[in-house]
Amino acid sequence: MTMVGTTPPPRLPVRNKAAGSRSGGVSPMLTRLAAERATGVLVRECGTLYLTEGRVVHAESPLAPGLDVILTAHGTLDARAWQDAVDRADQRHDADRLLLDGGRLAPGALELCHLSALYDAAYFALAPSRTPGHFHYGTTHWLGSVHPVPVAAVEHETLRRRSLLHRIWPDPASDSAPLERVDTAAAPAVAPRQSAVLGRVDGIRTAADIARELGRPAFHTLVAVRRLAAAGLVAPRTPPTPAGAASADRAGTGIAAPDGLRTAAPDIALLKRVRDALEAL
Amino acid sequence: MPGIDECLLEAMRLPGARGAALVDWTSGLALGTVGEPPGGDHETAAAEAAELARLAAEQRAFAPDDGEEAADPPVEDLILSNRDSYHVLRFVRTSFDSSVFLHLWLARADGNLALARIRLGEMAGRLVLG
Repeated sequence: MTMVGTTPPPRLPVRNKAAGSRSGGVSPMLTRLAAERATGVLVRECGTLYLTEGRVVHAESPLAPGLDVILTAHGTLDARAWQDAVDRADQRHDADRLLLDGGRLAPGALELCHLSALYDAAYFALAPSRTPGHFHYGTTHWLGSVHPVPVAAVEHETLRRRSLLHRIWPDPASDSAPLERVDTAAAPAVAPRQSAVLGRVDGIRTAADIARELGRPAFHTLVAVRRLAAAGLVAPRTPPTPAGAASADRAGTGIAAPDGLRTAAPDIALLKRVRDALEAL
Repeated sequence: MPGIDECLLEAMRLPGARGAALVDWTSGLALGTVGEPPGGDHETAAAEAAELARLAAEQRAFAPDDGEEAADPPVEDLILSNRDSYHVLRFVRTSFDSSVFLHLWLARADGNLALARIRLGEMAGRLVLG
């Protein structure tokens, strides 16, 4: 008689979270450019980094509000003063000097906004990309060097920010999808800076749209969105499923599905969130 | 008209100052640091101080109760003491959207908490207003 042993259940899939940090830098090309003290602009899929002698002097991304948005959104600087400095900037006069010399802006305010915008855009520019980056030697930014930052510091901060978001709420779907509010029976109290974000969630706007409207760094908006998602108040809008496909399938079985079970997609999304939350424990 | 580094160096001239930093409390990033890091590492100190600042800034219990609309953040500063030192966290009010504070670490034997608190408030104002 043979013994029949039970097969152990398969191991649950767990993502290799350490893979990103073990490989060192986020972009080997950027590390090399820093080592050779290159000056120019690195163009990647989700943004660009401006380097001067191997240090990051500026960063831009379509996903992050620019320095102009942050400075003008709440009237710190009026849009005309900004445009004036941009127009007058040339080889000998950087825009940052023009803004400061005109007394329109305190140096601390400019540095604060600039550093904040730099790390913010770099977070998106250094996101994993599907296409290779390109470097154009010699190109400089018209803003000048407000506060150059070592490449290693920018890469390190980008990785730290990724893990910070992951710790708050591990599902990245809410970072880029249109957001919608979720009705909860007992909604937890929302901090003022988060409620400004929550107030703009309307099923159409994405986190990047909300960041631009608030004149707030996009990463700060992502932190708020992930915290709201963790609290169950906000969810990425699931694309509408083709109603015909689901009903035709059910019609074949001859069983009428209750209203709440008509589509399968939200259940998969929910299961995914539960899995991610368990993984994060 | 000080920049970030000048502002932090000014804070270091206060009696008993051991270290100072300008920290963003949403991301936990230190935008500038001078002097010794509390706990041995500026990055960790910034992240830990950011957690404390965020809690203080977000809890309704610590907001003023005078009926007027609360500023953002509603808290002005945080004072923390231990056997050998003081920590003063001063929120920086800006006309743009931000979440930063000045963190000053003072030796308890030489530090003057009242003076540090007043000076740090003035520095926070000058940093962004010129």
